[in-house]
Amino acid sequence: MAVIREPEAAGPEIGVATAPAVRHGRSIETAHSSGLSNEGPPLMIHLAAALLLAAASAGNQSADSRIVLTFETGARTGSVMVALFDSAAAFDGAAGRPLASTVVSASGPVVAVFENLPAGEYAVKAFHDVNGDGEMNTNPFGMPVEPYAFSNNAVGNMGPARWERARFVVSGDTAQTLTLR
Amino acid sequence: MTASRRNFLMGAAALSAAVVTPETVRAMAAMQTATDWGLATADIEADIAPSAMRLIHGRAPSGLEGALYRNGPAKFRRPGGSAGHWFDGDGLVRRFQITGGRAELAARFVDTPKRRQETRLDAMVMPGFGSAGDPRAEIGSNDDANAANTSVLMAGEALWALWEGGSAVAMDSETLQTRGMVTHRADLKGMPFLAHPRREPDGRIWNLGMGRSQAMVWRLSASGALEAATLIELPRASYLHDFTATDRHLVLVLQPWVQTRATMPLSEGFEWRPDEGTQVLVIDKDDLTRRRVFELPAFGFFHLGDAWSDGQDIRFDLCVHRDMDFAARGAGALLNGFPLDGEPARLALASLRADGSGVLEATNQVAEFPRSDPRRAGRPRRFTLHTAGETPGRPFASAIGLTDWQAGRTRVFDFGPDHVMDEMVFVPRPGGTAENDGWLVGPTLNLAARSTELQVLDAARIEDGPVAAWRADTALPVSFHGIWHAG
Repeated sequence: MAVIREPEAAGPEIGVATAPAVRHGRSIETAHSSGLSNEGPPLMIHLAAALLLAAASAGNQSADSRIVLTFETGARTGSVMVALFDSAAAFDGAAGRPLASTVVSASGPVVAVFENLPAGEYAVKAFHDVNGDGEMNTNPFGMPVEPYAFSNNAVGNMGPARWERARFVVSGDTAQTLTLR
Repeated sequence: MTASRRNFLMGAAALSAAVVTPETVRAMAAMQTATDWGLATADIEADIAPSAMRLIHGRAPSGLEGALYRNGPAKFRRPGGSAGHWFDGDGLVRRFQITGGRAELAARFVDTPKRRQETRLDAMVMPGFGSAGDPRAEIGSNDDANAANTSVLMAGEALWALWEGGSAVAMDSETLQTRGMVTHRADLKGMPFLAHPRREPDGRIWNLGMGRSQAMVWRLSASGALEAATLIELPRASYLHDFTATDRHLVLVLQPWVQTRATMPLSEGFEWRPDEGTQVLVIDKDDLTRRRVFELPAFGFFHLGDAWSDGQDIRFDLCVHRDMDFAARGAGALLNGFPLDGEPARLALASLRADGSGVLEATNQVAEFPRSDPRRAGRPRRFTLHTAGETPGRPFASAIGLTDWQAGRTRVFDFGPDHVMDEMVFVPRPGGTAENDGWLVGPTLNLAARSTELQVLDAARIEDGPVAAWRADTALPVSFHGIWHAG
């Protein structure tokens, strides 16, 4: 079972606050259109798959792998929304549900931890909700205006990064530093 | 209209008179073997440190002090892949500084995410106006593909390199060092900003950002601070590279080259629909909801002159293309050294009348890159400055022309077949007020000498040729647009 916990090292002075996704069960699906659809302007890149906050899927396999994600971002306001996926179908699909997700305050160092994971392949989508409105804001032509990142710091090709670019192998402790841009 | 003007305005028939004869085919073949056009779209490998240009003719006029900033693509090819179109190379910003009678040339590439990524891959991978792009490209936003290669704008003390599908890129106007993308407000990050802003005589800046059948209307202070950004709806999703303005109106020419699908390259998503004619949308600057639509015959265009009000009518000059085949195919062929037999653009005058009718009066004068006196932007004027000398077999201009709408004639100086003429700007003589009291300043590429030259002509005596010319020890490819910054 995938569980998200408050990291033990998270003291108030560094302001880390991960939380179980079930506390943040509202959907923040923003229904971006594809950059290649007829709706958007040319060269407009949209995150076709919205970042979803959803309850962690239940499972009962025992697992002891752990992912520690450190986020770099330019602003200290709001929070960073992080969603973890364990399949290409869920990651690339427009309505794919994450395995787990969390919200981390951006007021201090931003660290998200997913633990008790089975070894395997995972990928992450994250964005910085700078103004704290719970949504990934876009400009009038539908382009994201809040910083976002994918695992491996992968970047898409006129759309969100795909599983092929963002997936990484987890076995035991795995750490990544992701730059929200 | 005067008789001379009527004679001068040849009518639309002249535009359709392009006939390819055996003579023109032979002339084109001769031109292609005789001239190394490659220099006009050559790759520049590194920034050009400031260096003195050598005076080769005349002397600098007293009072001409300042910098000509210009932008244009200068890197197209890398071992791992090349751009497919002239419009998709990396922007190289040039500064021709004239101080104390001496001229100096410096040039730096705009340090864009595109250029960084393509340098790392040693391949041109970004999609663009006429380039399909490469699957390796990492594109998280439109500004990752921003070539920053079309024009420049002075915003306060900063120089902005302009593209049309993304943000302006701020540079230091002295060192030409790149500072970064210009975001006018957090919620407007990445919104397109055309490479043809219109500047009122007091410095205020109007511009558009195009998104199919919507446009962002930008209003900025003279220093580049955001005053207003308003989204408007357009009657059709035309390709719009340039718009124009009177002192009271924005004028959007909606040619029948219409985007019907979003694809890469961008240009492949457009269809030429001459049956639908050209629409002109006129919007009040003071109230963007007040608008009128005029109809003109079908034509293609890139560039318009500044508009003005003539009583209740609105007039503007423009360079009319038969269609947009050059945009769709010609500029790609050009990059590979074999220009299409495209018919060059002709100068025309459009009138939007108070009764709602629109009239396009075409001339037979070959012209592109129209410019005029910046002190008269949006106000009545007499002259249009433009390049000239293109032929179906010669893809670039060799001459500069000044058309006098009042007298109905064009005076031309031709630099000869060895020269490729860039756009020129009109620089008013300090203290002068007459519309032709000043200089025409711009570079040519001397193909024979394999070097870039800076030319200065007296606007009132254009036929006499340059009053001063300097030669650089380097040859820069043809550039698109620029500005004069006095001082």
